[in-house]
Amino acid sequence: MLAPSLAGFALFLLTPIVVVVALSFFDWNFLSDPEFVGLDNYRELAGDERALQSIGNTFYYVLLNIPAQTVLALLLALALNAKIKARNTFRVLYVLPWMAMPVALGVIWRWLFDPVNGGLNKFLALFGIDGPSWLTDSAWAMPVIASVNVWQYTGYTMLFFLAGLQSIPTELYEAADVDGAAPAYRFFKITLPLLRPAMLFVLITSVIGSFQVFDTIHVMTAGGPDGATSTLNYQIFLESFTQRSAGYGSMLAVVLFAIIAAITLAQVVFFRKRTVYDFS
Amino acid sequence: MNKTRAAALAALAVAAPLGLAACGGDDDGAVVLRYAFWDDNQRPAVEAMIAAFNETHPDIEVELEQNPWDDYWPGLDTQFAAEDAPDVFWDHVSRFPTFAANGVLLPLTDQIEESGLDTSIYPAALYDTWTFEGEQYGLPKDWDSIALVYRLDALEAAGVDPAEVQGLTWNPVDGGTYVELLQKLTLDANGDNALSPDFDSENIVQYGTAMGSSTGQTDWWNYGVQNGCALQTEPWGEYAIDAPECVEALQFTADLYNKWNVAVPAEVTNQPNGGPPADYVISGQAATALDGSWTLSAYRDGIDAGDWAVANLPTGPVGSGTVINGLSHAVYAGTEHPDEAWEFVEFLGSEEAQRIAAESGSVWPGVASLNGAFADYWAGEGIDVTGFQEAAEGTAIGYPLSMNDAAFGTAALDEFNQVWLGQKDAQAAAEAVVELANAE
Repeated sequence: MLAPSLAGFALFLLTPIVVVVALSFFDWNFLSDPEFVGLDNYRELAGDERALQSIGNTFYYVLLNIPAQTVLALLLALALNAKIKARNTFRVLYVLPWMAMPVALGVIWRWLFDPVNGGLNKFLALFGIDGPSWLTDSAWAMPVIASVNVWQYTGYTMLFFLAGLQSIPTELYEAADVDGAAPAYRFFKITLPLLRPAMLFVLITSVIGSFQVFDTIHVMTAGGPDGATSTLNYQIFLESFTQRSAGYGSMLAVVLFAIIAAITLAQVVFFRKRTVYDFS
Repeated sequence: MNKTRAAALAALAVAAPLGLAACGGDDDGAVVLRYAFWDDNQRPAVEAMIAAFNETHPDIEVELEQNPWDDYWPGLDTQFAAEDAPDVFWDHVSRFPTFAANGVLLPLTDQIEESGLDTSIYPAALYDTWTFEGEQYGLPKDWDSIALVYRLDALEAAGVDPAEVQGLTWNPVDGGTYVELLQKLTLDANGDNALSPDFDSENIVQYGTAMGSSTGQTDWWNYGVQNGCALQTEPWGEYAIDAPECVEALQFTADLYNKWNVAVPAEVTNQPNGGPPADYVISGQAATALDGSWTLSAYRDGIDAGDWAVANLPTGPVGSGTVINGLSHAVYAGTEHPDEAWEFVEFLGSEEAQRIAAESGSVWPGVASLNGAFADYWAGEGIDVTGFQEAAEGTAIGYPLSMNDAAFGTAALDEFNQVWLGQKDAQAAAEAVVELANAE
């Protein structure tokens, strides 16, 4: 069983990774033979304002995306873990955006955020508010993209918190009730510590996904205005396939890989230090 | 093939579709040619030409591969890298230099000579575009230019005589009769036009014009050429759009948005999010647009006959020209069927094939004698298309030929979008574009 899946891993994951790392030392335009340039691509990065801006954009996006998405998902999970009416219907509704095609959603959101004909500004106009040009204003474009993705992935993230909440033994809450613990105390002393495994999983996967954001940006702004929404992943696409600089794009991919690996490692180390509760 | 290329190909082999079968012959001995193109508007004409080709070449099967413009070029690049590209494909002037210099195009010089093809049926400038270092890399498919497309119903409502539209002039100082017309056609919710003292620029319901071009071809390049801007130092040379006459044209374009308020706002039309200009004219948000001859069928299908027309471009300080362009049919250097591919390209370049495209109003044909057939088709639709021919005369220049088209295109879109939004100075933007585009 292991051998065939290992072959797939080697062919579809390991080989492309090795080739991308190799290509990052070459100059290649797809059309003629690659030319070995050593570390030139990496040196060039230091003076490439657009690429440096895209690294900044990536962190900005992650900061806009992850805290909002995680907190909202946790609050939703708490609400939907309580005994409320039509609980299952709500759970499904919140997960629906995650099931939809990001590209299709992007097209619809793009229309909603259209400055003149868009639904949002027409709605704001009812209250006499002159809405900004959401996607062509460099101050607004990234927050808009981040909010669309928060909206799309919150329900999905919520599922993991929900599963985490349901694995917390109810005896702990009963004991807290006996001791007369306040709700906030129960949350910070019981719920949050015991959600640590779920939190670790959610943060690692969503931070990785967030660093790799592409489809929403491609459909809604194509990296504009003036590079304001071009994340590192989008810059890889632009350099490789618009500018035909496959070697330079590969170098950016290696940089992105290194950033993600470092941050994931930091998260694992941070969470591993903490106590693990075992109630089995 | 050297080792590095083999390593690079290993990666692409993983990603590339396994379309190798298409390179081989069919069981019944028929040769299959892959033919790639992008424009959906032209698909009916393309299919009709293939049908005509098969009447004389029943043993060659043509497989169409259609991708929209934005996906077409990256797709071709990866297919070249995987050495699995379509045998015959549409080529564009902006991509031609890089393709030719990197050896992915099959030189057709010998085939043209052996077949005794009379190349004088094509305008010399159109034919010579596809020459690189003494070799011919394609036969002209069509040519295109820009003219002024306008809504007759909007003109009537504004009380403007259509004859006035033929002789418009513009200048960077007071805008001239061109801007005056656009002001008359820019209306607020109360029906006051932009010349009226009561005009409310916050509530515009119809704009004089719509712009929106990812290259500049249907917007500022026109004002540039009309102001003496050559875009490049010379064909194949450096980009030179920071010259005063170019910056003046850029500023004039920005003024149409922000000073005169006569263009659908850049927040809406900036590429790649905005629609093509035709969208805004068809929907009635704009009364005119400078637009390409290849877009005529969109207007035909979107506006009632009799409600729109085509006029000459306005005349600027230097002239009334535009940037003319054309496409060619190219053959992939790695094709397994060079003979059949040449037969197909020769047919596509023939009068017989191009008559099909011209008579359906698809595109201006590469074969000069067929221009009348295209004009006749549109005359039958009530549209006088001589504006496109006028624009191609006089001060008109060819599409920029450069190895750095990709860098120029990306930089221009980034920078000029900011200029149209009124957030960047035209001079600074032009300098930034020139620096990036000439760097490689």
